[in-house]
Amino acid sequence: MTVWPEQRSLVADVEFDTVDMTINIGPQHPATHGVFRMVLTIDGELVVDCEPYIGYLHRGLEKLSENADYRQAMGWWDRTDYLAGMACEFTYCQAVEKLAGIDVPERAEYIRVMMTELSRINSHFLFLGAFGADVGSFGTSFIYAWRERERIYDLFEEVAGDRMFPTYFRIGGVTMDLPENFESRVRWLLGSIEQGLEDLDGLLTGNEIFVERCRGLNPMTTERAIALGITGPCLRATGLPWDLRKAEPYGIYDRMKFDIPTGREGDVFDRYFVRLSEMYQSVKIVEQCLSEMPKSGLILNPNLPKTLRIESGETYVRHEGTKGEYGIYAMARGGVKPYRMKLRSPSFCNLSALRELVVGNYVADAIIILGSLDIVLGEVDK
Amino acid sequence: MTKADAVYPYPIGKAAPNKHLAELLEPLVSELGGTLSETTTDVNADIPLEKLGQFVEALNQRSALQFDMLRNISGVDLEAEGLALKYHFYSFKHGHALQVTVATAYEGAHVQTLTGLYPAADWHEREAAEMFGFTFDGHPNPKNLLLEEDLHIHPLLKAHPLQKVEIKQGIEAGPPGVILS
Repeated sequence: MTVWPEQRSLVADVEFDTVDMTINIGPQHPATHGVFRMVLTIDGELVVDCEPYIGYLHRGLEKLSENADYRQAMGWWDRTDYLAGMACEFTYCQAVEKLAGIDVPERAEYIRVMMTELSRINSHFLFLGAFGADVGSFGTSFIYAWRERERIYDLFEEVAGDRMFPTYFRIGGVTMDLPENFESRVRWLLGSIEQGLEDLDGLLTGNEIFVERCRGLNPMTTERAIALGITGPCLRATGLPWDLRKAEPYGIYDRMKFDIPTGREGDVFDRYFVRLSEMYQSVKIVEQCLSEMPKSGLILNPNLPKTLRIESGETYVRHEGTKGEYGIYAMARGGVKPYRMKLRSPSFCNLSALRELVVGNYVADAIIILGSLDIVLGEVDK
Repeated sequence: MTKADAVYPYPIGKAAPNKHLAELLEPLVSELGGTLSETTTDVNADIPLEKLGQFVEALNQRSALQFDMLRNISGVDLEAEGLALKYHFYSFKHGHALQVTVATAYEGAHVQTLTGLYPAADWHEREAAEMFGFTFDGHPNPKNLLLEEDLHIHPLLKAHPLQKVEIKQGIEAGPPGVILS
């Protein structure tokens, strides 16, 4: 007898005993965006428990920094959030400058903010590309994002001599002046970035499958996000316009005019959309820097001592990193080395909430939720 | 007015109004036998180890304080003066930032966990425990986080050498985490 599909009962009327299964994802798995491992306990397709394991990339950054000159340690801090090395250098330099009471020349401040914002765009582009791939756009979003990242890296190479780990900032300023025709190059780059953003926006936000996949997935309240220590775009996605560039302005951010994009539900789509909107604001900041920057002048404080010694003091410098609050607790007790350097890395804190975010969702969604946190393992593992 | 403004009427765009924080904290801190000071960026409260839980509960609950985020926990090895823990709190409601310092003994220090009030403390405490050898009483999952699970060394202690550390693996190595001089 023919039974058409719509006449069949889709739910089996037999109840099976289910057994929880444990599956391991990572540490070498493309979905974990680095050397991160999570052990999921699943009931059918539902995640009932999740145990994250980190530390595969632990390089002892804090110990190394304690055993190096204030200037020597700079290169290692690039390698924390390696998608936005300049932003990490900015925080490190400011931590030491706060301890030692060193001023930074005006022109260097503008260069620093400009480079930090370009790094933020760079990092968010990787998020857009990789997240699109997580959700299922295969390679397309990745390649779109890569085109713009490559151009930003080209600019970094021209400015600092290196692409990913520029070590461009110095305590008291930056190391080299900008190359010739820099302004016209950056203006061209910004146009290209905006075009790239529109392309990605059309590809992802304009795609109904993508939007339906992400909207309403894993919503979060502001209170819960704060209790879990989540900061950055994931916190702003819950609707709280809290950005350290505005809440506790540092550098010359108090002169910049930009908005803080927020989401509504704190779901995966909002986390994606906040990052996308934030990049347009970063473009705005870079444009303002270009037009307001002193055209010439010092780029490094001329009164720096030959060897930097700091008698005593402690500070907790926090910046709006690309992933959230990037903070450095620094302590000096005399000598040429810092006594203690502790990194409060945003990815580390956001990732620590993973168990709560993932439990109760499907396995396929767990991958997307992890992707939406936008972790970078160099920063998680220190 | 968005949803968030209603919950947190914190004046976004102005520098954090930290100046009244010391006055607000003064009675509470002196009652618990602590002292107030300042770091380059924040107000610092030195609190005796056994009063930490009481103090943090007041920080979390009192409406004048309402420190709702635990930003960071950082251990420090002060050598002759023992170990210390630095907690960094932030209040979204008032925009206050606070550092709490707790001094402990060099070895075998037991500290009350804050994971009940601040779930964010979980990984920070695990990290401080493995790096410095603190024991956080009441922690739900006191395992190593960044180091190997069966490795019982505390690398961020000043006595721990930077080099000449060899971690042998396998059966012939004996107990894990042997430090060669």
